Amino acid sequence: MDLINQSVKKWDHDPKISGAAKYVDDLRIKDMVHGKILRSTIASGTIKEIRIPTLPEGYLIVDQHDIPGKNNVHIVDDDSPCYSDGTVNFVGEAILMVVGEDMKVLDKILSEIVVVYEEHTPVLDMMKSDVIFYQYGYTKGDPDQAFQEADQILDETFTTGYQEHIYMEVQGMIGFYKDGKSTVRGSMQCPYYVHSAVKMVMGLPDQQVQIIQDEMGGAFGGKEDYPSILGAQVAVAAKKAGRPVKCVLDRREDITCTSKRHPATMHYRAAIKDKKITAIDAYAVYDCGAFTTLSKVVLQRGLIGATGVYTFDNIRVNGKGVRTNTTPNGAFRGFGGPQTFFAIEMFMNHIARAIGKDPFELKQQYLSKKGDITATNGLYHFDIPFPEMIEKLFKESGYPEKYQQYKHQTGRTRKGIGLSLTYHGCGFTGAGERDLIKGVVRLKKNYNDTVEILTAGTDMGQGLKTAFVKIVAQTLGVPMHQIIIANPDTDRVPNSGPTAASRSLMVVGKLLERAAVKLKDIWVSEEEQEVEEHYVHPEFTIPWDTENFQGDPYPDNSWSANVVEVEIDTLTGVADIVGAWGVYDVGTPVDKMIVIGQMEGGLLQAVGYGSMELMDANNKGVIRNNSLSDYIIPTAMDVPVLKTDVINNPYVVGPFGGKGAGELPAVGGAPAYVAAMESALGIDLHHTPFSQEDTLKALEAMKK
Amino acid sequence: MSGKITFILNNEKVESNGKPSDRLLDVLRNEFELTGVKCGCKEGECGACSVLIDGVLANSCVVALGSIHNCHVTTIEGYSKTKRFEVLSKAYANFSAVQCGFCIPGMVLASEALLSHNPHPTEAEIREGISGNLCRCTGYNAIVHAIQKAAEEGNGLW
Amino acid sequence: MVIVENGYIPADLAEALKIRGEQTVIPYAGGTDLMVDAEDHAYLFLNKVPELKRISEDETYLKIGAAATFTEILNYPGTPEILKAAIHYLAAPAIRNMATAGGNVSNASPKADSSLIFYVSDTLLKLASAKGERILPIEDFITGRGKTALQADELLVEFLMPKKGLENYYYEKVGARKALAISRVAFAGLFNMEGERITRCAAAFGSVADVVLRFRDFEAMMIGLTLPEAKAVKSEFLAKYDQAIVPIRGRVSADYRKHVCMNLLEDFLTQNGI
Repeated sequence: MDLINQSVKKWDHDPKISGAAKYVDDLRIKDMVHGKILRSTIASGTIKEIRIPTLPEGYLIVDQHDIPGKNNVHIVDDDSPCYSDGTVNFVGEAILMVVGEDMKVLDKILSEIVVVYEEHTPVLDMMKSDVIFYQYGYTKGDPDQAFQEADQILDETFTTGYQEHIYMEVQGMIGFYKDGKSTVRGSMQCPYYVHSAVKMVMGLPDQQVQIIQDEMGGAFGGKEDYPSILGAQVAVAAKKAGRPVKCVLDRREDITCTSKRHPATMHYRAAIKDKKITAIDAYAVYDCGAFTTLSKVVLQRGLIGATGVYTFDNIRVNGKGVRTNTTPNGAFRGFGGPQTFFAIEMFMNHIARAIGKDPFELKQQYLSKKGDITATNGLYHFDIPFPEMIEKLFKESGYPEKYQQYKHQTGRTRKGIGLSLTYHGCGFTGAGERDLIKGVVRLKKNYNDTVEILTAGTDMGQGLKTAFVKIVAQTLGVPMHQIIIANPDTDRVPNSGPTAASRSLMVVGKLLERAAVKLKDIWVSEEEQEVEEHYVHPEFTIPWDTENFQGDPYPDNSWSANVVEVEIDTLTGVADIVGAWGVYDVGTPVDKMIVIGQMEGGLLQAVGYGSMELMDANNKGVIRNNSLSDYIIPTAMDVPVLKTDVINNPYVVGPFGGKGAGELPAVGGAPAYVAAMESALGIDLHHTPFSQEDTLKALEAMKK
Repeated sequence: MSGKITFILNNEKVESNGKPSDRLLDVLRNEFELTGVKCGCKEGECGACSVLIDGVLANSCVVALGSIHNCHVTTIEGYSKTKRFEVLSKAYANFSAVQCGFCIPGMVLASEALLSHNPHPTEAEIREGISGNLCRCTGYNAIVHAIQKAAEEGNGLW
Repeated sequence: MVIVENGYIPADLAEALKIRGEQTVIPYAGGTDLMVDAEDHAYLFLNKVPELKRISEDETYLKIGAAATFTEILNYPGTPEILKAAIHYLAAPAIRNMATAGGNVSNASPKADSSLIFYVSDTLLKLASAKGERILPIEDFITGRGKTALQADELLVEFLMPKKGLENYYYEKVGARKALAISRVAFAGLFNMEGERITRCAAAFGSVADVVLRFRDFEAMMIGLTLPEAKAVKSEFLAKYDQAIVPIRGRVSADYRKHVCMNLLEDFLTQNGI
């Protein structure tokens, strides 16, 4: 492999491991006070009255009336309020902030505030919602005819649950206001998203708003939209208080009121003729929660992937995102993909069994390859290296032999093994990069020949700083220590776009590579120089038609093949995860070790999504699993064997052949896990997470 | 005798102005400004606030200040000045085991607590040793491998 | 004795009992449960009281000081495997390093991992006050969810765990993951025979009701029987439990808890040749 994938010590290793790195809650700032948010305790209603106790000196209340601009937080649409507009729409919605010096006093004030509501009946079940935020659909071929001519029609419903990010560092932000300028700093993926949100809420022009990213303790999509809301809230508070205001959520608050992966209900039909799949008809409903946040784009991505990695001649896909009185859902690694990929992967297993085929054989029969027409009538432009990946995966996991071996087991413990094949489209959907983001990067060469990278890209642990430094250093042909990269500050960096959608390396990395080439060309030692690069859309793509969902939604995809093996205890329903394996194509891995770290971490999250990460709400819309002892994520002991590998399949227009990586491993873990449970139990399953209780229920049902 | 809670913090005798019922975590972060001790949950469930108390791993969020009177408390700030830390840090770097970094100070102290009792742990023992420290980034493999490597490289140090 | 504001740090048990008798204080052993809420309580810190840390044994009993940590109990050579098994699945090392058997039991939670073992093994609890001592079986100490027989001037000082007949045990805990898992259902059984006859067939169920469940009158059915005789009453025995166990609903359903309890109880009998 190339020099680029040789691993180096991570750029931020030393400050993080020694505890010196400052995350937002670690900052000590002169005159700073704290803010704590009063949140709705009901899922739907109108606020009739708020009774505030007499406040001690130095304490104040911040609410909608203190907002200088609009009470709308700009995300994709602008419906999320900064502070409640007099209605409450989910348990946890922010009503007001109490600001002051002593956290214990703030807690006391919060406990003494009385909110009188007129309660409305909340809509908690997505299938009962009649408010449709977004609705899309597309067709390929003639599915109606295929269904008419079918000799067998399969019809199944799949459901997927919430997934909570559990970034180890909770959300937190500090607001400042001085001389008519709002500054907000804290834990965020997308400084320029926060920038536009604060601008609108504060009613300020571009240059009067400054956003700074601090060290980020994980995000996984969870700090894509929510920081815009919290950022706007502290900005308003800081102006009123006349002092810096820090608001760091506590864990229960964070789990209750920040975005999660959308629960989904997906109805799939397959037309079968002569044991062949002649059409797929899919209908997906995504539960958006009370406000739209990022649901529009999440739903789009989910629908685009609804038929998975397979090519069918006739397809109909429809879907809607609906409003419920629950916490607004948003971005989570995979961004709408894990739901529909779960459905199609399980559906393919079930179709196979229904027509008497081996699931893998059936999948292989329809596996997409270079030159195939995609579901949206785009084109698979590049090699799809599944054959190589699957060979590797089978060798590591022993899938084919074990799958046969685990049929018809008896006894207290039973083993099972499952497979999933998925992709993740790299970058923003459609023409977003060209029309909306228009990313810009800058390289600034100092007199001493050090070069500073200026982008809005944020490092949330995924290794962005290291990767960017490697790309620039190698392109320039200078040692890495000559490169400077700091956390972005919108006063200093151009808008290279959000750190999301597995775009940073592929898109921003490419811009940096081009900037470095340019700088190298004009390089004059001991002189200050600066170069700037702007996004250029790859020419080979078939233009994306957002209206009709036609064309190439992504310039390329990253591909994954996953296997999970389980052993269930039939007395308790407990499933031990024997192992999880994944083989991935992320183009040329820019730093192999970092990429493997991403794959391992993502796969473990995805296995959690399929198995133990259960979150539900009671009939009042209150999330019950709002603590780390109640919302269960895997420990080091839960998946004792976790093996991932990558293949080298350079992406021609990526920097050093790299393409999107971060989200890919989050897509295939759940379907592989539930497929393993199917293999152990010998029945078809339709939902995730598949819990211990579900397993025992299935076993008891089989006894009868 | 009445007075203040005193203890040995990173090898230095200190006196706290905190109440006996205060969380050690808050005392360390706020009074002593040792912000390498992270807060992830405040209920002993994540290990981000791990410290060593008399050489034993503890979640400082569920330790009352009054319970550590006259004890030795080591945080990452103190531990990072040791030879053992150097070996662990290098091993963590070798496997790119530090991602977001929020769990890492606690994870390093859990590694120390494990190796100080069991210098040559098996993989299963390592997984158990760090089982109280949640990490959402790495999938744990890189950390497990780093501890294995540190155990080899640091032969004799533990 | 060190007193800082409302916190008391006694040097020995006598000092601790004196304060306990004179002041309104909350006994603090490991803190791992108490500190989750971190209220500004007046604590009596017992975590360094030597008498309460001691683990020893005589011919009849393993004696575990109430403030001995689970790690200390795990490392003690005389600790029986059944107790080690439960401790092994209790939370994670950092919690086991601080948490104590005394705290675990005094919390009076039906989910307490060590309580289950003390129930099934007929462990006695020694309570003390400045006025004297008394010894209670654990069933009499825990009077309900979160309720104990501990008087305002008393401290739980020691567990007396009968050593005999603990080798042949059955233990299963269902948690949501492999570590850091709160028990959703737990079962412990002890089975002994003398010659052909059953002398003990003890079964305890954790996390299913307000307190750990144990039915001595059902167990009595089996005492004195031979294995073939026991087999003959097996279904009657199981039916009694099936009727008596009415689980509570929580993070898992009552139905699930019930099925697991019955599955494990039946397996416990089967494993022992019944």
